[in-house]
Amino acid sequence: MAQISDLEFLRLSKAQKTGYKIRRFFTGIPKAIASFFLAVWHAIQKAGKAVGREISEIGTTFKEGDWKTKLSFLVMGFGSLARGQILRGILFLLFEIIFIGYMILSGGYWLSMLPSLGTQGPTKEYNALLDVTVTQYHDNSFQILLYGVLTIFFIVAFIYTWRVNIRQNRMAEKILATGKPLKSGKEDLHSLVDDQFHKTLMALPLTGILIFTVLPIFFMILVAFTNYDGTHNGYTNNLFTWVGLDNFNTLLSWDVTGGAGTQSYAATFGEVLLWTLIWAFFATFTNYFLGMFVAMAINKKGIRFKKGWRTILVLTIAIPQFISLLYVSKMFAKNGIINGFLMDMGWIKTALPFWEKPNWARITVILINIWIGIPYLMLITTGILMNIPADLYESARIDGANAWQQYRKITLPYMLFVTGPYLLTSFTGNMNNFNVIFLLTGGAPTNPAASSAAGAVGYTDLLITWLFKITTGAESQYYLASVIGILVFVVVALISLIVYNVMPSIKNEEDFR
Amino acid sequence: MASVKLTDVKKVYDNNVTAVHDFNLDIKDKEFIVFVGPSGCGKSTTLRMVAGLEDISGGTVEIDGVVVSDLQPKDRAISMVFEKYALYPHMTVYDNIAFSLRLKKVPEDEVFERVTNAAQVLGITDYLTRKPRALSGGQRQRVAIGRAMVRNAKVFLMDEPLSNLDAKLRNQMRAEIILLRQKLDTTFIYVTHDQTEAMTLGDRIVIMRDGFIEQVGTPQEVFETPVNLFVAGFIGSPQMNFLKAKLVKSGDQYQVSILGVNIPLNPDQNAALLAKGIQDQDITLGVRPEHTAVCFDSQANAIPCTINVNEMMGSELHLHLSSAHNDRIIVRLPTMDLTHDQRAQLSYGNTLYITFPAKAMHLFDPKSERSLIYG
Amino acid sequence: MSEAKRHMGLKASRALSNTAIHALLIIMSVIWLIPFICIVLQSFRVESTGPVGYVVPHQWGVDNYTKLFQTDFPKWYMNTFIAALITAVLQTVIVLCMSYTLSRFRFKMRQPLMRFMLILGMFPGMLSMIILYRILKDLGLTQANAVPGLILVYIASSGMGYYVSKGFFDTIPMSLDEAARVDGATRAQILYKIILPLSKPIVIYTVLTAFMGPWGDYVFARYISFGTSSGMNVAVGLYNWLNKDQIANSYTMFCAGGVLVAVPVTVLFMCLQKYYVEGVTGGAVKG
Repeated sequence: MAQISDLEFLRLSKAQKTGYKIRRFFTGIPKAIASFFLAVWHAIQKAGKAVGREISEIGTTFKEGDWKTKLSFLVMGFGSLARGQILRGILFLLFEIIFIGYMILSGGYWLSMLPSLGTQGPTKEYNALLDVTVTQYHDNSFQILLYGVLTIFFIVAFIYTWRVNIRQNRMAEKILATGKPLKSGKEDLHSLVDDQFHKTLMALPLTGILIFTVLPIFFMILVAFTNYDGTHNGYTNNLFTWVGLDNFNTLLSWDVTGGAGTQSYAATFGEVLLWTLIWAFFATFTNYFLGMFVAMAINKKGIRFKKGWRTILVLTIAIPQFISLLYVSKMFAKNGIINGFLMDMGWIKTALPFWEKPNWARITVILINIWIGIPYLMLITTGILMNIPADLYESARIDGANAWQQYRKITLPYMLFVTGPYLLTSFTGNMNNFNVIFLLTGGAPTNPAASSAAGAVGYTDLLITWLFKITTGAESQYYLASVIGILVFVVVALISLIVYNVMPSIKNEEDFR
Repeated sequence: MASVKLTDVKKVYDNNVTAVHDFNLDIKDKEFIVFVGPSGCGKSTTLRMVAGLEDISGGTVEIDGVVVSDLQPKDRAISMVFEKYALYPHMTVYDNIAFSLRLKKVPEDEVFERVTNAAQVLGITDYLTRKPRALSGGQRQRVAIGRAMVRNAKVFLMDEPLSNLDAKLRNQMRAEIILLRQKLDTTFIYVTHDQTEAMTLGDRIVIMRDGFIEQVGTPQEVFETPVNLFVAGFIGSPQMNFLKAKLVKSGDQYQVSILGVNIPLNPDQNAALLAKGIQDQDITLGVRPEHTAVCFDSQANAIPCTINVNEMMGSELHLHLSSAHNDRIIVRLPTMDLTHDQRAQLSYGNTLYITFPAKAMHLFDPKSERSLIYG
Repeated sequence: MSEAKRHMGLKASRALSNTAIHALLIIMSVIWLIPFICIVLQSFRVESTGPVGYVVPHQWGVDNYTKLFQTDFPKWYMNTFIAALITAVLQTVIVLCMSYTLSRFRFKMRQPLMRFMLILGMFPGMLSMIILYRILKDLGLTQANAVPGLILVYIASSGMGYYVSKGFFDTIPMSLDEAARVDGATRAQILYKIILPLSKPIVIYTVLTAFMGPWGDYVFARYISFGTSSGMNVAVGLYNWLNKDQIANSYTMFCAGGVLVAVPVTVLFMCLQKYYVEGVTGGAVKG
């Protein structure tokens, strides 16, 4: 769609302007996505070039280096040792020895087993001596996959260290050529609390992230391509093995037979995804606008006990969610306090089906989430509302704007600009809002059409609670959980990508400095 | 106590923007050097490279003959006063000043002596137990200077130290820095965007633009013999007037021809142009407002101008005029000797006449912007 | 006359709208407080133990509280408390390290690292529980030994939660660091002599949120305790009391346990509310 000039735009009527903006937004999406892939492509190209540069630099290092450098290609740290940097040299050498030792002792085995994930499952053997059948365990697919992944990580780390070792030689030669001394071990250690302090500070956090986040995610992505589940746990019953894209085909197929209950997996997945998005939308924006409204009400001139109102609301944040949510969930139950109260007052004859009917349950969940969310949004928006320069309102009043116009033209645009990034994280956070759904309904009421293999999907289940049910359910279809996890990532990433390209305030972190 | 030498110093940022191009400067022991220029000209970057807060992309910095390019700031024997004071908000004034000494593990007795000495010199003894937020802008500035003083550094670096003060306080602190300089008797490098500060403080001034040095010289040199249009316009307030004119050579005598008026150059200027073999050409003529004479009636060699704005400054008037060429000209006119009639004539739309003495004229090439005489 | 009338009208309409807002706030306060009042009242109900349709007990007593101590509840409480305490300390250290680094140092991998962590955060964290459970089980840190395992899970990836405190550090001027460097401080000294003393609000915020996290965690605690009662935290333990087969006997005990869990956390939170507000507001603005 053609872009019109600023002056042409100004001549449009209000409706035309809105229409134009909306069209621009949607026609912009393909472009945003295309530009993303273009950026990825450029990044790949850049990485390729960088690798090429590295290799050629390694080459020149070897060609121009002295014998100490050349030997370092084989014996890591040799150059450092020979040039008197004992500490560095020993660390390099130690790492190489550990690596080679590990690869010989076990790394090689894990790596060789990785393509098959094990060949021999448990066998039952008759022990004539004791007259019993004993189960003999052999390969362990889970361990093979886990340690295989670890070994790959280790190899990458080794290549990187080897490269650092080469670069160190090159740099040392250059420094020596200018006649300056190299850093001593003591200076190296000192630099760890000074100019290299960031490495010291990040060592622990990054190790944690690597082992407890990156490794598991990597592992679970691989699981999506296997048949790992309760009946193929890889050790005590059956081995699991690579199945290619089968799991994706299963989840995204419209085939009713072999699906979840009486409907296909694709239909179930589509329903749950749609509800997840609807839920995230309402959960985010009802809270946002109502929270802002409450904040403005409390902030208003002439309202008394401002602090008291805030404290009462904030109480809900302080109390652990599992208490408040579980309790509230029981309050709305058939025999709960709400129904009891309404019947005592004679307003209703039979209990209201808050949790029993799909749409009742969905609306109740959103309403209770407002109860949970308003205090939090009230706190956030209070601070920001107070930061809006008062002279903006004064000048608007002089221009003749009424309260609603002031809100529409000043408060809201300002808030949206400042809290734009928050809204995005809040939306994706709500998509994965396990606590509220699980503690309130546990996904109920159950969807009878989708209630068998895939862990009894309910009408209020989000993708994330479905995933939880699958992994903890009787059949533990881990592979299916992995596929859903990957798809959740894809959806979240896609939404973030589009919003990033639309929102001005997210793009530049320095804008807010 | 120390000389500073910058050789081919360069700053290139990661995004390949060059902030400072081959910067060469010899700063003598105990000299007060001022880097001046518009914002973004690279003056602060250069100072920060001397301090070691910014990596040097090329070239070397020497202090007292030692190359310090690879040293940490603390090992360079420098001290620095920052633009926004950079006082540690959670420490008292005393602790702020004592911070560097304590890091060096100086005994507390000596710390006390040195801090109180500095406080006395700066007149902040009464505030030693206060926190920075309880101080006024001028007092904070003094604490910042005190913090730099106790380090007994060889080179004193100041990065726009007065730009956060109001005009009155700025004048007062400027005088105090001159006093401080006499007391400390060390090498100073001072960065400012204010040409008045540069002129009043500096032994020598380094005028920078877009990462290049435009001119280095004493305040008098840069004022009287600016080498290009930029320096001529930057130094002096109100700014120098620039007019379109022609340089005409008749025989061995050069004349400036402007709006039908011909002004012969004086012998020194004439000789300089002759030596360069300059022919007839278009020029930009520069004359400072204070060197532009005003007359109320037409006379020989006088250029008629229309009055646009009349600014009353008290002891003098600043008149904004425009010539027939639409050049914008500012002149300064002392109010003391003006008659009632003359004052009446100085209103919007009336005509005035201006003349230029030859020795006050600066001649610039319009294309290269360089001074024909000093460039 | 008409001037005065209009003036009065303005005043009257303002008074009217303020009255309406006051009424609204009173109604809201009631709605917000009712569940907590109910839970407290029901925890003192003696005549029956299941869920009922009325609020005020017919018979009052502290039976539910004394009964709590005959169950595993004290054990769960200690588990949660220890996990929360240690997590609060270690997570704060990790978060501060990470956010200080990303705020103050400009190293080559900084931007890629931040982008990478952003992308990592888009994967549902629950997914990694399957493998973490297996790893921890191999290390013997599950079921009865769940507390150390749980702490490990809580703190291990906390480096990714650097946003809020980085945003705060970003507001401390860089020139303070530079002044300190000229004064001869190393980067480590800058951190604990200059930055940390100035960051009290955000340190308290980090400790507070890190402490409160484990009190409300259900998912990880359930995975790692894996049905072993002595390894559960309060959330898992109390959740089980609301099972279909247990609710009739332990609903009022759940209320009593909930009160005991909520009271200390709420008191702590209310005391440090100021810092919490500062943290969430800053975090929302900075993104």
